[in-house]
Amino acid sequence: MDLHDLTAAYALDALDPAEASAYERHLSRCEPCREQLAELNGAAAALAFGAVAPAPPERLRASILDTAAAERANVVPLQRRRWVARGLAVAAAAAACVVVGLAVALSRPGHTRVFSLVVRNGHATLHVSGLSAAPRGKTYEAWVIRPGRAPRPAGLFRGGADTHVRLNGTVPRHAVVAVTRERAGGVEAPTSAPIFSTPT
Amino acid sequence: MNRQLAHLSDEALVALAARSEQSALAELYDRYGRTAYGLALRVVRDQALAEDAVQEAFLTVWRTAARFVPERGKASTWILTLVHRRAVDTVRREQRRRADSLDLGAEPAVEGLEEDAWLRLQRERVQAALRRLPDAQREALELAYYGGFSQSELAERLGQPLGTIKSRMFTGLSRLREQLGEPGTEISWTSTT
Repeated sequence: MDLHDLTAAYALDALDPAEASAYERHLSRCEPCREQLAELNGAAAALAFGAVAPAPPERLRASILDTAAAERANVVPLQRRRWVARGLAVAAAAAACVVVGLAVALSRPGHTRVFSLVVRNGHATLHVSGLSAAPRGKTYEAWVIRPGRAPRPAGLFRGGADTHVRLNGTVPRHAVVAVTRERAGGVEAPTSAPIFSTPT
Repeated sequence: MNRQLAHLSDEALVALAARSEQSALAELYDRYGRTAYGLALRVVRDQALAEDAVQEAFLTVWRTAARFVPERGKASTWILTLVHRRAVDTVRREQRRRADSLDLGAEPAVEGLEEDAWLRLQRERVQAALRRLPDAQREALELAYYGGFSQSELAERLGQPLGTIKSRMFTGLSRLREQLGEPGTEISWTSTT
């Protein structure tokens, strides 16, 4: 059985359990297959939109949300998990851009900030939600950091409600994108710890 | 309905779900629940089983959101893949329609369908792309994806060598991808603090 041949069938869920297990083991060792599967998975999922979609019964939504809420009642407290995720992000950024002053500050309880980076053909847009507006005399500054290079300034923004920032220049593969708070007008090199960073 | 998260990307919602934000799961359901249900219903052909498949898939999203890797694909692809896998497992376990003929990939009649314009547009786009495929490739895709047949079952039922079926599925799916014109590679990454 040539396992490379099974990518489309796997994407369509058309393998028997034994074949699917063999293919999954192969996948862990085969980068070309992983890339091809990512593409074919997208095409297979598009077929879902080809089915006629009657509205599901109202009770389904409630049932899913109630079960979800009941399950998550006894997990690790959110605050603790914040520490872990934040520590990792800062460590990754520190390794890549050698920023000074690695202060790890917890976000306020009940206050969630979301950073979402989308890179399309090398052009990146950063969506920021829940980040309070930069105080007077300050700005947020985005950085693109290529491995082994100094951070390159990629744009300034004020924060506030919801912000969409189109980053200047391109974001090559393996680059890190980070955000720091800087003095108004921006700086040429970061002077503070990142408040957000993609993993390396 | 509370749509305060309506401006967030799917990937951002998954990241929030990983942090136990129940409203993020609700928003993902509001975006994809209907498509998920339509897909499950098409595959399992039974309302109660379709609801089970959708429920299990969304609970898997809730339980494993922290392990979702945006670099490997869109969140919507992940969710619909989970729904499809559940539905196919169900239909194979139930041995439904096994005695039936191969017309099972066909669209069931749906009554009282009130569809929103965006979903209708998506459906017409996918169906048009399918119609442009050679018959043998379209048949292989429809029977595998909507019918839940495995490649070995298809080879047997269509009286074709397994290699032929594999090649029809691969070529058909690759062409479909080109037809639907994915807008280049997209990588996204989301963090919450």
